Amino acid sequence: MSELQRESAQALLEIQDLRVDFTTYAGKVKVLNGVDLKLREGEIFGLVGESGCGKSVTALTVAGLLPENSEIVSGKILFKGEDLLKKSSNEMRETRAVRVAMIFQDPMTFLNPVLTIGTQLTESIDVRYGKEISSGWRPPGAGGEPGAAAHSGRTGGREKKRILNKMAVEALKKVRLPDPERLLKSFPHELSGGMRQRVMIAMALARNPDLLIADEITTALDVTIQAQILELLRALRGELRSTIVVITHDLGVVAEVCDRVGVMYAGDVVEVAAVDELFAKPLHPYTQGLLHAIPIVTGGNERLESVRGTVPDLIHPPPACRFNPRCPHAWDICSKEKPPLLSETEGHFVACHLYRKEKP
Amino acid sequence: MSGKRTRESQARTEELRYTLHQLFRNPLVVLGLILSVFFIFLSIYVTKIVSPAQFANPLGLQPLLLGSLSVDPSIFLNIAIYGGIAYIIQRMYDNKWATIGFLAVVFVVLYTPIPQQLWIVNPDGPNQVDFTQKLCWSNSLINWGTQSTPCPAASHYFLGTDDYGRDLFMMILMAIPLDLAIALEIVIISTAFGVFLGAVAAWSGGKVDEILLRITDIFFAFPGLILALVLAAVLGRNITTLTIAVLIVWWPTYVRLIRGQILAEKSKNYVEALRSLGLSSKRILFLHILPNSIYPILVQCTLDIGGVILTFSALMFLGFSPSPALPELGNLASSGVTYFFQAPWLIFFPGATIVVISLAFNLIGDGIRDVLDPRLRR
Amino acid sequence: MIFVLFGVSLIVFYLTHGIPSAWDPVTAYITPKMTASQIQAIRVQHGFNQPIYLQYFYWLRDVLQGNWGHAGNEASGFPVSQVFAMRFPFTVELATVGTIMTVGLGIPLGIISALKNNKLPDHASRIFALTGYSTPSYWIGFVLQLVFFYYFAQWGLPSLPSHGALSQVLDGTVPLVTRMPIVDGLLAGNLGYAWDGLLHVILPAFTLAFISLGYLARIVRASMLEVLRQDYIILARSKGLRERVVIYRHALRNALIPAATLTGLFLAGLLGGAVITEYIFSWPGVGQLSLSAVFAGDANFVAYYTLVTALIIVVANLVVDVLYIYLDPRIKY
Repeated sequence: MSELQRESAQALLEIQDLRVDFTTYAGKVKVLNGVDLKLREGEIFGLVGESGCGKSVTALTVAGLLPENSEIVSGKILFKGEDLLKKSSNEMRETRAVRVAMIFQDPMTFLNPVLTIGTQLTESIDVRYGKEISSGWRPPGAGGEPGAAAHSGRTGGREKKRILNKMAVEALKKVRLPDPERLLKSFPHELSGGMRQRVMIAMALARNPDLLIADEITTALDVTIQAQILELLRALRGELRSTIVVITHDLGVVAEVCDRVGVMYAGDVVEVAAVDELFAKPLHPYTQGLLHAIPIVTGGNERLESVRGTVPDLIHPPPACRFNPRCPHAWDICSKEKPPLLSETEGHFVACHLYRKEKP
Repeated sequence: MSGKRTRESQARTEELRYTLHQLFRNPLVVLGLILSVFFIFLSIYVTKIVSPAQFANPLGLQPLLLGSLSVDPSIFLNIAIYGGIAYIIQRMYDNKWATIGFLAVVFVVLYTPIPQQLWIVNPDGPNQVDFTQKLCWSNSLINWGTQSTPCPAASHYFLGTDDYGRDLFMMILMAIPLDLAIALEIVIISTAFGVFLGAVAAWSGGKVDEILLRITDIFFAFPGLILALVLAAVLGRNITTLTIAVLIVWWPTYVRLIRGQILAEKSKNYVEALRSLGLSSKRILFLHILPNSIYPILVQCTLDIGGVILTFSALMFLGFSPSPALPELGNLASSGVTYFFQAPWLIFFPGATIVVISLAFNLIGDGIRDVLDPRLRR
Repeated sequence: MIFVLFGVSLIVFYLTHGIPSAWDPVTAYITPKMTASQIQAIRVQHGFNQPIYLQYFYWLRDVLQGNWGHAGNEASGFPVSQVFAMRFPFTVELATVGTIMTVGLGIPLGIISALKNNKLPDHASRIFALTGYSTPSYWIGFVLQLVFFYYFAQWGLPSLPSHGALSQVLDGTVPLVTRMPIVDGLLAGNLGYAWDGLLHVILPAFTLAFISLGYLARIVRASMLEVLRQDYIILARSKGLRERVVIYRHALRNALIPAATLTGLFLAGLLGGAVITEYIFSWPGVGQLSLSAVFAGDANFVAYYTLVTALIIVVANLVVDVLYIYLDPRIKY
């Protein structure tokens, strides 16, 4: 099998040339400019980039949660072979319930303040396993009398609630939250930031999704809590069958947890590689600039390098390669033809004319 | 102030343009605007035909909508008011064309001579008493049933007559400017008073603010209409006193409103910055904070025009009018109560007019409120 | 709160008793046959010639002691408290049914407006709501009476009654417990009685509802729109919940909090007596009575009526604040 075929065979999610526009009062914002991405099953994939580069939008598009003023101009999102973009909103809802789970950045605003943790957690489980439980299914080790329930077929409301609560407690235990029974009855504002984030993770985990998207989940936390959450993620990875996408702007987070990483800039994926490879040998000028900009604590008192220029205006983006105005190696062709994402070495992809096989 | 556009006024113009753009996307607002402009122009038109003397005079001043070429006190009032507004426009937007345009519109509206012979409005119409035609109805839309008599086909009554044979349509036409003028006066005065008081109190803070807050609390404890009723009973039954009664009921709303705005602005950073530049408190308050807080006030004013008309006409309806012949919408409705089932048009049309006028202003106010809600912007 | 009540009593007293040219306090105590000197004697006897602050003090003392005097003429009128007890239940009935209608119509209207924001249902319901808000209550009451009472009868359709709270024939056929026709009828098991009461209350209650549902719908719409933009709604949708569940369980619980407090205040305002509506429909409530009291120059009754309504509103504000704390778990008192 060719390398490409081997890739496709294990791909859980494949995004092909995704273009998304947002309509605002100031004009049409071309947020995604042809995103290409492939996720393998079981891996932890990091998606990095500056604020506004389109990482969250990509995730929201996969989950089907784009706001009203958006428009998916073109592209395909193949999830285990099915094109998600062709699904109806009801089918997408089913997909979200069963297969794709998202965790978000700020657990204070993302948890409903007037509902208890228990309500929000059990509804998450219910939407995934509700029907099964009603027809007699029991999760492994959840208690109850499987024999009797299985015979009667239908599970009543109270019994179902009991099972859901038990599953919720299990989920809370998995994310290492103390006193889970009491937590079920509390409200979000009674918890600390780190605990709330764990609750959100629990809500996603309990559904056993195929794909878990974590959108900047550590950004709102302080460093020590951040470390705990990442450690939790690493520990859970062994238990879950899920593929995890970690969206962040922090390369440190990527280095901590991810297997592979993709770098985005202004709506394009510019480089994809295994984590060690990316840090050792960054190919794209933007990635190089990013890595040079990381201050090294143990280093000498050097001047902080940064990528010159500013993030482009996405209503009037630069033509072709959107990085070309800031790129130290830009040629003529960079503003005429958009570089495709091609494999430079095994497993290492880059979208840059510097690496074309035939020089222009 | 030089002639060049300051950054500040540029920003304000941009903001205004965005607001207007959002506003006009809403068809209801456009409808409201059309209706209110229609009524305002109708009023001006009617008052130019009819001599000012035939209108009762609220507060002893000529209503703002009247204009006349002869020299009388109202001309100075008009100059003061429109000149003041022009000054404010110039300061806020620094654009001489905007100011000139505004003044031009005012001039055209107020001083264009209109031919007197247009047949539709007969200045003596409302007072023409013709007992042979009493209590007849006449319109092609609604058939009021068998117990009432339709007007003879040859007559020129549009909507019918009352028990004195007076033309209902004429009376409504005369009543519209009166109601609008009264409403505008009440809104403007209570806004000015309430905003000034509230701004000063909120800005100074401390005891003064406390006391004023408590006073408004007291006023808010009364249901509006009941307080107006009692006041009207005490003060007497003429337009001036009723205007004052409604004023007293109305002003606390603005105090609360401006207080909320100013307290919010007070803690913002730019105030501290201005203070450190050495600006006096008065300058900060009137030149910077007030213009920034103006929008909710504007919304409330627009909505209140409808509200004031409703309250005022309700007072008239309940029986506080000085005379049954006064052309005022509530008053007209009130005289129709005795002929409830015999002549329903006597209540129906004046009431419907109130509905449409209020609706016009409410549509605008509601639309503005939607657009200005800071949580829903952009 | 005490300060507010104090201030209210001050204003009430001054308006009703402090301006002799408008409301001469003596009129409650005199008969037409009395001579001038007799009237003067009564004046002195009751202390009406004393300085105003003293009069206020005595009056306040009377109020707090429950000594509320009589409505109308002191000699022939009923005690104010009794008058209140007779009429207040009707106002309560009207206020309750009116509030139920307002909430039942206004909240769904607001929700629809929010969900179909800026589309046709939104515009339609907003015009309807705003029209209600712009309508004088005497007009809509009148139109309703005209159509449902008068013209329905003329067209041969079953018509709704337009006056009073109960058909006169039924008067006294049921023991008066609460004095509210519907409640008394239900308590006595007399469904016909209750039904009659219900029929009578529909038109005036709808008049009230028509006017107020616009404001309520607007508040609901605004808070729904704000809630729907919140992050937790995105999370709820990301769980794959049905849209209906997202709205009912997540959005409404948050969005209806301001509406709930508004409803409380609205009910309080209605309990003060919807003067115009009661007048139009000859509804035997407190509001209608206050109107006739004002025109009859009955300063005493007007004073107490105003005092009571203000009290109701102040108390309602307090209740609503407590309610808010209960509804929103974030707020700790």
